[in-house]
Amino acid sequence: MAESPEKTVMLDIDNVVKRFGGVAAVGGFRMKVREATVHGLIGPNGAGKTTLINLITGLFHADEGTIRFAGHDLQKMAPQDIAALGITRTYQNVRLFSGMSVLEQVMTGCFLEKKSGMFASFLGLPSARADWRRIRDHSMELLRRVRMDHRADELAETLSYGEQRRIEIARALGSNPKLILLDEPTAGMNQAEASEIGRLTHELRDAGLTILMVEHNMGLVTEFCEACTVMNFGQLLADGDPRTCIANPDVQEAYFGRKNDATRIQALR
Amino acid sequence: MYLFVEQLVNGWAIGSLYALFGIGFGLVFSTLGILNAAHGTYASWAAIIGYYAVVWYGVPFPVAIVCGVFGGGIIAILVDQLGFQPLRSRRVGLLGAFITSIGFWIILDSLAGFATGQQSLAFPARSYPNALVEIGLIKVSQIQLTIIASLIVVTVGIHLLIQRSRIGAAMRAVGWNDLAAGLSGVNSRIVILLTAFLAGATSGLAGVLGGIATNNVHFSLGEGLMLKGFAAVVVGGFNDVRGTAIAGIMLGIIEVFVAQYISTAFRDGVTYTLLLGFLILRPRGLFGSASFVRA
Amino acid sequence: MEAFLDFWAAYGSTVTFSMVNAFFALSTYAVLSAGVLSFTTVTFAAVGGFLAANMVGNFGLSIYAAFFLSAVGGGLASAIVATLFLRLESHWMALASLALVLITRVVVLNAPGLTGGVYGKVVPMSISQLDLLILLVVVTFIFYRLHNSWYGLTARAVREDAAVASTIGISPFRTQFIAFIVSGIVGGLGGAAMAFTLQFISPETYFVGMAFTMLASTVLGGSFHWFGPIVGALIFTALPATMQAVVPAIEDVAKGIALVLIMVFLPRGLIDPRAVGLRRAAKLREEREKRAAGENANG
Repeated sequence: MAESPEKTVMLDIDNVVKRFGGVAAVGGFRMKVREATVHGLIGPNGAGKTTLINLITGLFHADEGTIRFAGHDLQKMAPQDIAALGITRTYQNVRLFSGMSVLEQVMTGCFLEKKSGMFASFLGLPSARADWRRIRDHSMELLRRVRMDHRADELAETLSYGEQRRIEIARALGSNPKLILLDEPTAGMNQAEASEIGRLTHELRDAGLTILMVEHNMGLVTEFCEACTVMNFGQLLADGDPRTCIANPDVQEAYFGRKNDATRIQALR
Repeated sequence: MYLFVEQLVNGWAIGSLYALFGIGFGLVFSTLGILNAAHGTYASWAAIIGYYAVVWYGVPFPVAIVCGVFGGGIIAILVDQLGFQPLRSRRVGLLGAFITSIGFWIILDSLAGFATGQQSLAFPARSYPNALVEIGLIKVSQIQLTIIASLIVVTVGIHLLIQRSRIGAAMRAVGWNDLAAGLSGVNSRIVILLTAFLAGATSGLAGVLGGIATNNVHFSLGEGLMLKGFAAVVVGGFNDVRGTAIAGIMLGIIEVFVAQYISTAFRDGVTYTLLLGFLILRPRGLFGSASFVRA
Repeated sequence: MEAFLDFWAAYGSTVTFSMVNAFFALSTYAVLSAGVLSFTTVTFAAVGGFLAANMVGNFGLSIYAAFFLSAVGGGLASAIVATLFLRLESHWMALASLALVLITRVVVLNAPGLTGGVYGKVVPMSISQLDLLILLVVVTFIFYRLHNSWYGLTARAVREDAAVASTIGISPFRTQFIAFIVSGIVGGLGGAAMAFTLQFISPETYFVGMAFTMLASTVLGGSFHWFGPIVGALIFTALPATMQAVVPAIEDVAKGIALVLIMVFLPRGLIDPRAVGLRRAAKLREEREKRAAGENANG
């Protein structure tokens, strides 16, 4: 299961620090994510995982350190420019647009994929209309992939939590990204639904995507992730193969407070 | 030289009114997150209540002020509970509460119009202390001294309340994060009622004193204060009453001097340009500490 | 026919004014629908109004040329305002725009050469109701197209969650800048329409009262669809006029109470596409439950 060394590093986070009012949410963290892998990011609540994702996507800016993606320095770049480089994400607490139908959510996600300009679209030029239809078909295809196409016309906020998570993944896929960041994609899902998300990440990886996934379900991490990074108190705790990572005594202590509480670890697996 | 110092005191007194008015406006904005367009009507109503207390019942000056202050506070609580409370659970945000406050502004304003018969009223000359006091070389009217002293007392009082008392800590907590305040056991209902009352009461104090000082109790008295008080809050910084007080006094003095030495035409222009300049270049104001960043 | 003529004699001007107010409401809606609460429509209207008055009065331009220049003037003013204001966080943005309304009046008062100062300015031409209606229809069609194009989708996204929109690749600044330009153009047209309808404009014409009326109209009608502001403007203009016929004394009080009641009971306004979706979802759920119950009964 060891990561193949020939795969190039896609995302390189080096010595990143982010403070909020004196408290370092991320304190000198480093990690590397290789191309076309499913990479798990784990750690107890409050470890700084979501802050890290916010830093990568440009919603926050790091106080120190560098974040490099495919040769670009992401420091001080605006979120929309980072998205244009090919990074998209989902959110821990699902953030769909209120008042939009399922299809509209995904079409909005395809914003970077459209070929017609806003003005052409406003004028309703034939080329713009053709492009609009193409995006609509593409969005339907994405919805089919997450099995939400049968609810395309419904208001997204009326659907269940699990369904909303799947819509959010489809929206993130809309712009045809190179790297997708999934922030707890299976929270609130049952085991069958979660495995389905796991299989989807493998499908995407086989199509050439890189996936960085924040996940609390250790079973899912060991089953689907090829690499794993553990974060605690904003710092790197362990790195490498998921099984070895989780078995690491420091990691167990971080999660459970005691090193020898083997039964609870067993339960978690 | 006499003129200069006298105008300085005039400006100080006028500015103190703006600041008195602005303190409540800023308090409601920073604690409850409401931009309250009806804040000016509390001042109009307090002046009207004070006026009728004097004219109908012949109450002495301090009682008239107390009537106005309590009147303003109670109206503010009514507006909050009838208009803003139903919105709190619905997360309609800044816009919803603002529209509601416009509604109350229209209602209270036109009712004030009926109460005064659309007339400009004046407190009877002997109902308030208006003798001139000699301080060094200059003469200052007692009402101006009252206004200046009121602002100092109110500023110190509210500042201590917010910074030192338990309920003040709760007020800061609600302003910072409603949810966190709820979790830490703060009774947000009491904070809301107290904030609304304080806002109405300070606005009312500005209204009664302003109505006396300008010899003009009118239903749109509050509107004039509203625009200037708003400027004082922005320039001073929303979350610091001391900032509002200093900025209000500054604006009053600047206004009087611009009118005296440059031109009356520029008086309002200078105030509003300062206001806009601060909003764009330094939105947290002269003395404000943090901004309203919410992720 | 006679009844209609009577109605028109009594309410013809109300219809005209509601059309004029519809421009202002649409201008407010233009920015609000991209997540910006701004009162600057008043400033754009003042620019448009005084520009039109001068063009017609001093340069003898036709009314149509004046409208065109008002739109351009409003658009330019909005470009400046957007550049300065869009860096501000939403609360400060709203306050700054209110301050700009106050400053607009001071500027108008102190530029008597262009505006007539305190005494105002007489506008020597008027617009026919038909022309006004045609202009409103054209503007409405523009909003309809905006709503159903990429701009509409991005504006909705930015309004609902600007941070999420930006991680999708949408620039909130660019979207809101376009919103301001649209608001400026429509506000400028509305200002000119106001000038040609009232035929007299003064510093008080474009002031806080107008800011509140147009915002109230927009929110009353609904700020989630272009049809909302038009309906809102019609009701908000007609309401006082009809109230005056029934209970003249409490006209304003009734207006205020209506506003409060609407915010408490219909906070998203009269025209709300989301409510339609919610109702549909409730119906679907009911059908599904009924079907499931039926299957259980059969099985």
